[in-house]
Amino acid sequence: MRLSKLKSIYLSLLVAFVCLLFPWSGLALTLRPDFMLLVIIFWLLRAPNQCSVGTAWFMGLWVDLATGGIFGQYALAYTVTTFFAVIYQRRLVLFNSTQQLVYVFSLLFMSQLILLILKVFSGKEFLGWSYFLPSITGVLVWQIAVTFGLNTGRHSRGQ
Amino acid sequence: MMQGIHHNFDQQQAPAFFARGPSPLARLAFFTALSLALMATDSRLQYLANVRENLITLLHPLQVIANTPSQVYRSTSEYFSTHHYLLNENERLKKQALKQDIALQRLNLLALENANLRNLLQANKTLVETSTLGEIMHVGRDPFTKKIVVNRGENHNIVTGAAVVDATGVIGQVTRTYPSSSEVTLITDKSLAIPVQIERNGLRAIAFGHGRDNTLDLPYLPANVDIRRGDKLVTSGIDGVYPAGLAVATVSEMRTTPDSPFARIVCIPTGGIENHRQVLLVSIPHTESETNDGNANSEKNKLSSAVKSSTGNPIPANNPSANPVQDQSKKTNQGIVEKNPQKPLPNNQSNPHAPE
Repeated sequence: MRLSKLKSIYLSLLVAFVCLLFPWSGLALTLRPDFMLLVIIFWLLRAPNQCSVGTAWFMGLWVDLATGGIFGQYALAYTVTTFFAVIYQRRLVLFNSTQQLVYVFSLLFMSQLILLILKVFSGKEFLGWSYFLPSITGVLVWQIAVTFGLNTGRHSRGQ
Repeated sequence: MMQGIHHNFDQQQAPAFFARGPSPLARLAFFTALSLALMATDSRLQYLANVRENLITLLHPLQVIANTPSQVYRSTSEYFSTHHYLLNENERLKKQALKQDIALQRLNLLALENANLRNLLQANKTLVETSTLGEIMHVGRDPFTKKIVVNRGENHNIVTGAAVVDATGVIGQVTRTYPSSSEVTLITDKSLAIPVQIERNGLRAIAFGHGRDNTLDLPYLPANVDIRRGDKLVTSGIDGVYPAGLAVATVSEMRTTPDSPFARIVCIPTGGIENHRQVLLVSIPHTESETNDGNANSEKNKLSSAVKSSTGNPIPANNPSANPVQDQSKKTNQGIVEKNPQKPLPNNQSNPHAPE
């Protein structure tokens, strides 16, 4: 059972990565949610033993590679974000769906904020408030997934 | 029964609820330190360039898979495009070809004339460059940089520094090469500067990308500089990277404020940065020959002809006599000329301003 779960974790991470690799452009690029982080947060809630800070860091490296930025920027952003997801994991599982949504939003926002700070330090310029739109679309994707019956760990207490 | 429970516990060691390995804080500290070290290494030292190249090669099949849906969509929509649309396009392209044919004939004449004049003046030969057609694979994913990825790389002799142009003007420069793709930084990126010249009066300047909206800045020019709205900027070619005379941008705003000694000049790039799929990657120009000193000269000549024979597409050097070059290199030059008698600048279609 554990092995099959591990398999589905890696498979979903791979799918999220391919989603990232799609040739997004224009408006779609500004709105594109961070699929990778969403999948990581989902597995942090569902399977905190198999997917943890290390997994997030490792996937962050691949995202760094795909975006062509300096190695370690996404990795650091994901690491810090997942740390906050992990320490509140037990409480998060008890949250109702609205609370969970707010928490997921703050996690997505936090990762973007960390990334922004890192990018600004490396000499880039702030792009305006539309930079934070992916957090909102990310939460929408999360809500859609929950509406369509994705179990985000709220009912898995009995396991 | 007790034994059974014990046995179970032994196997599991601890209930899954508590088995969490190192504490999250420890992991956070470890991985944060690792990320910071990586960032420092990657931004200050060059060790990771190779690693990145190899990993991108690994990633290439995934990228191809991810590109498939949009490609399928494009090819099906092309297949179902209407008869009317195709006829219109055909008409337009024919007209364009006719116009360009005429321009090309004049260009050939001018190129010959230019070569002759340069010969008479014993000036340096014009620079030559080769070009490769590439297709944009995807736009850069990092919102902080303006980049595109093109499907030509080291396997196609693309080197970093090559200029990238489309049918209307310069769009950027190759900044990273991978085996089968390369990363192009657009001229609107904040970190890219391009030496330009005002077409109207020949004034030289350096244009910097603005970074946020798709514009270029011309900073550090005095408030009384002779630049007007609508002036065209072309590459000056003095950097030895971009071929001279390619259209870059048009001045859209020229403002002076009393409190600043500098003018604020905003330009809009001519190249359709977001519109085209095909781009031309133009290699760094190299001189055909130098005139003044004989010794170093022949060395260089050999080198450049070697480069040419490997990459193809040389420029006509129908007068290799102006300078004391060695016989051998003369011969090679002429040999190449005979192979390609009519080939002025390889990028002439993309560039209405080329002849000077």
